[in-house]
Amino acid sequence: MTNSRLRTAALAIALLGSAALAACSSDTAETAHADAGHAARSSSAGLPSGHVAAGEQLAMTKGAATGQSCIDCHGADGNAPIDASYPKLGGQYGSYLARALQMYRDGSREHALMSSQARGLTDQQIADLAAYFGSRDSELSTLQGAH
Amino acid sequence: MRPLTIAACFALGLAALPALAQDAAGPTTSTPEAVTTTDSAPVTSVEGNADRGRALTYTCQGCHGVEGYKNAYPNYHVPKIGGQSLPYLVNALNDYRSGARKHPTMQAQAQGFSEQDIADIAVFLSNLK
Repeated sequence: MTNSRLRTAALAIALLGSAALAACSSDTAETAHADAGHAARSSSAGLPSGHVAAGEQLAMTKGAATGQSCIDCHGADGNAPIDASYPKLGGQYGSYLARALQMYRDGSREHALMSSQARGLTDQQIADLAAYFGSRDSELSTLQGAH
Repeated sequence: MRPLTIAACFALGLAALPALAQDAAGPTTSTPEAVTTTDSAPVTSVEGNADRGRALTYTCQGCHGVEGYKNAYPNYHVPKIGGQSLPYLVNALNDYRSGARKHPTMQAQAQGFSEQDIADIAVFLSNLK
């Protein structure tokens, strides 16, 4: 217990220290990010812009973790889920879809299939998928004028 | 560490009490053990009432009724929920209510919902065009 508390404290100090460093040297940090950007799986600088065509291709590709593609479960254009508990994705806001995939990837949102499906995705792949499904025809609507 | 853990369990228990009481005091029309799903997904035993759902979702418009409305920090659009799959909506609200799914505003909203409320909201939203 004491050990883990010490470790937590050390981690907190390290995090604070690095946050302070980052704040002090944000210019150099950004340059470093740009250099390392190609290899990075995910970046705190936000998602890159997504490409619909790449997203379409990926949406049809079976994931290694589940053996399923997005389309296999969410249906064509993400509009025909094979299970009623799966959401429709077509025309959903891309930024929301990207956020959902990021949360599944980092474990802050969990689902038996989606967690493992999203774990291996890069930022670029998330952005591409979000762009693709966001660009499809939609059966979804906001609540504007619904009442 | 241990006293803290015990205190946390105690606090959780206390927090769960009103929810339990609410369930017990819920509508008598439902059959609590009957599970009516078209698929394998565990959803709800309660039949939703779209009119009640309409009334319950006035508040939701504040965020979900504004085209292009964005969540701040992190920055992303609040999702479109009209026309979404019914069991998906039920699961989402249940998960926010239990804390399994995290979003400060949605957790706060869902904590006030009974099982009946969630069924009503889901049936209203899923039938929107």
